Amino acid sequence: MSEVQAAPRRRINLGFDRFSGLYVWAALIVLFALWIPDLFLQVSTLKQVLSFQAIATIVALGLIIPVAAGAFDLTIGGVVSVSVCFTAWALVNHHGVVVAVVGSILLGIAVGLLNSLVVVKFKVDSFIGTLGMSSILIAVAAMISSQSQIVLSTEGYGPFLDFARGEFLGLPYTVYYAAVIALFMWWILEYTPGGRYLYAVGGNPVAARLSGVRIGRVTMIAFVTSGAVAAFAGIALTATIGTATSIVGEGYLLPAFSAVFLGATQIRPGRVNVLGTLIAIFLLATGVSGLQLAGAPSYVTDLFNGLALIIAVSLAVRTARRRS
Amino acid sequence: MTTALSVREASKIFGGQVALDHVSIDVAPGEVRALVGQNGCGKSTLIKILAGFHEPEPGTEVTVDGQELSFSDPASSEAIGLRFVHQDLGLVGNLDVVDNLAIGQGYITGITKTIRWKQERAAAHEALMALGYDINVRMPVGGLAMSERTAVAIARAMSTRGAPSKMLILDEPTANLPGPEAERLYALVRRVADSGVAVLFVSHHFDEVFEMADSVTVLRDGKHVITRPVEGLTEDELIEHVVGRKLDEYDKEGHVRAHGDVVLELKDLSGAAVQGLDLTIHAGEVVGVAGITGSGREEVAALVFGGHGHGGEVVLGGDVLPQARPDISIERGMALVPAERHANASLMAQSLRENITIVDPGRHMSLGILRRRPEKADVTVWLERLDVRPSQSEFTMAQLSGGNQQKVVIARWLRQEPKVLVLDEPTQGVDVGAKADIHRMVDEAAAQGAGVLVLSTDHEELVRVCDRVIILRRGKAVDELSGPRLTNDNITAATIGRDSSEPAA
Repeated sequence: MSEVQAAPRRRINLGFDRFSGLYVWAALIVLFALWIPDLFLQVSTLKQVLSFQAIATIVALGLIIPVAAGAFDLTIGGVVSVSVCFTAWALVNHHGVVVAVVGSILLGIAVGLLNSLVVVKFKVDSFIGTLGMSSILIAVAAMISSQSQIVLSTEGYGPFLDFARGEFLGLPYTVYYAAVIALFMWWILEYTPGGRYLYAVGGNPVAARLSGVRIGRVTMIAFVTSGAVAAFAGIALTATIGTATSIVGEGYLLPAFSAVFLGATQIRPGRVNVLGTLIAIFLLATGVSGLQLAGAPSYVTDLFNGLALIIAVSLAVRTARRRS
Repeated sequence: MTTALSVREASKIFGGQVALDHVSIDVAPGEVRALVGQNGCGKSTLIKILAGFHEPEPGTEVTVDGQELSFSDPASSEAIGLRFVHQDLGLVGNLDVVDNLAIGQGYITGITKTIRWKQERAAAHEALMALGYDINVRMPVGGLAMSERTAVAIARAMSTRGAPSKMLILDEPTANLPGPEAERLYALVRRVADSGVAVLFVSHHFDEVFEMADSVTVLRDGKHVITRPVEGLTEDELIEHVVGRKLDEYDKEGHVRAHGDVVLELKDLSGAAVQGLDLTIHAGEVVGVAGITGSGREEVAALVFGGHGHGGEVVLGGDVLPQARPDISIERGMALVPAERHANASLMAQSLRENITIVDPGRHMSLGILRRRPEKADVTVWLERLDVRPSQSEFTMAQLSGGNQQKVVIARWLRQEPKVLVLDEPTQGVDVGAKADIHRMVDEAAAQGAGVLVLSTDHEELVRVCDRVIILRRGKAVDELSGPRLTNDNITAATIGRDSSEPAA
């Protein structure tokens, strides 16, 4: 019995089911290295990919939590916008960095609580509930920014801007924030009871409840987490770009969902997970920056992201079906 | 005398197995006939022949009001006036009564194919009034009382446009109805019969038979046993016809084995179909609950465990449990192996390890990290103890057979060493070997001092594992069997018997 038991763990799986993303990523790197070696094989390309994706990565990492619990959170884009506008508004109105940062995070938490009120208490489907809430957030962001662009100049707000722009080992701080959050989420999902509860609620809420999991509370914590993380991403984004508009966060919604769902086809197929999400983000980013360096127009980003998501998930569904 | 329905020498063989063996019955217009028998006696086969689902063996003849039925042709069944209402009623819950009546037969329309709602509503209202039901026909059917839904289904069957209705065939019409609603339905069926339509209904509920039917036909092992008027028939006689042998005069005293302290007390537990259940379970005792569908048996587990809110009290180890809080029930030492494990107990895409430890995932946590190695070792012990195959903690639940999945769910709870173990249909859809293993685990849990409550439709299982069995009928405990009285036949007889509180008809 015991020898049989050890076998499936120890075997190194070269198959495409769990690590296909890594293979595709490697293939992309080789492809661009051969195609445009002068442009692609540069340290600056690596730096660029990492720093460009840091904020999108943070948003996606927050989104993993509610999706693991089987809930959509479509407010993350709106939370980023609100957080950006509030941070900039607080700074230009001289409320200080502490108010700007703490206030933004609290706003993110408040949105998470409202989401869970709608989804858990009012029993509105999470897709619809958070869709409605995201529309409200667009309005809130516009109100805060008085519907105009707020600019934070380098002279006036240097210390705050350094929060994101400061560099360590040649990489902006945002890359390190993303790394720390990734580690934290990985620990939560893989090594704490909270992770088990999240996956159980996402897998079968009835069974989870009858096993003593407080599904309402788990869902609430999931929404609060994604809200707080999106708000943090908003603060980092404000410091990165130094301007605030009420629609700046919207561009982060779809990439985050793409990364999380594409990530669910990796490492632990069928289950959203941190490593898979990271692979998905950098696979997509590598493809996009390679194409751009090769002279492709800017709309290629959206085209590539969309195609990659559909193709990858279709293949994963096919493998899963064949396996069962 | 004219006959509405005449069945001659009906036979049906399924792969060498005789399901129906030269059965002949006649039903007169305006007569209400009950068709009773144990599961597998041939009732459903006969109904399905009438409905045109099965082709009977050559030699079978069916006529309705003199017109011959051409077999395995549902259209012919309808054309000669047979009308069916199945147990699930076949209504669309979110559509209103008008729409439900019009589905299948088409709406009344004008020249431009616009629906004439006014006329349609009037027709619907009239059809229901004829059955004695004054229902707002614009209500979604899902919002109606159960007996009202049955009325809508009957109205739909009866109002079929085209051939006149000669015979109404009902499958377990009051199976899911609480007492007062069942009585409304008796009156409805009586009205239908008074209009000259013959009624044939399949039933497991003996009160339904005695309250509603003029006559009864008993089938056993595919054969016709007896057809006779209900008047003058006693319940015991009917049970003997159904079971096929004389029941031993059972000892009304019974006896209860002595056990440990009281671990679970149900005081006037109510909710859904259950109406005031009192029950005490001692440590080391295995108590069963039997009852046909609709008796409330299927609700008991959720009410006890806190899956639903309940009336009355559930007292666990001296403390009253709060409403609808499974987590607190578990904390205080209760465990539930629910019915329908796919829907209620399994995390299909997750590992056996995660399925088993979901009740307390933190058990192997140290320094803020869940230690996978001790967790695996812990789980593997349980997989081997219950002989789960394969006993691989990292397999997903979906990779196991039904019986092994059920063992995993049971392992989840035995690992908690519960004070009270509630099992709802513990061997549903499980193979014979796994079933024996599960029964052995129940014995062991009781031997270790757990109070066990088993809810089951498998009467042999109840006899096998229980010290005593409570019989539920229409939401009330009506009998308790133990000792020599605890036999398969006695349970069956008691579950389908009439409410002892009701006067004999």
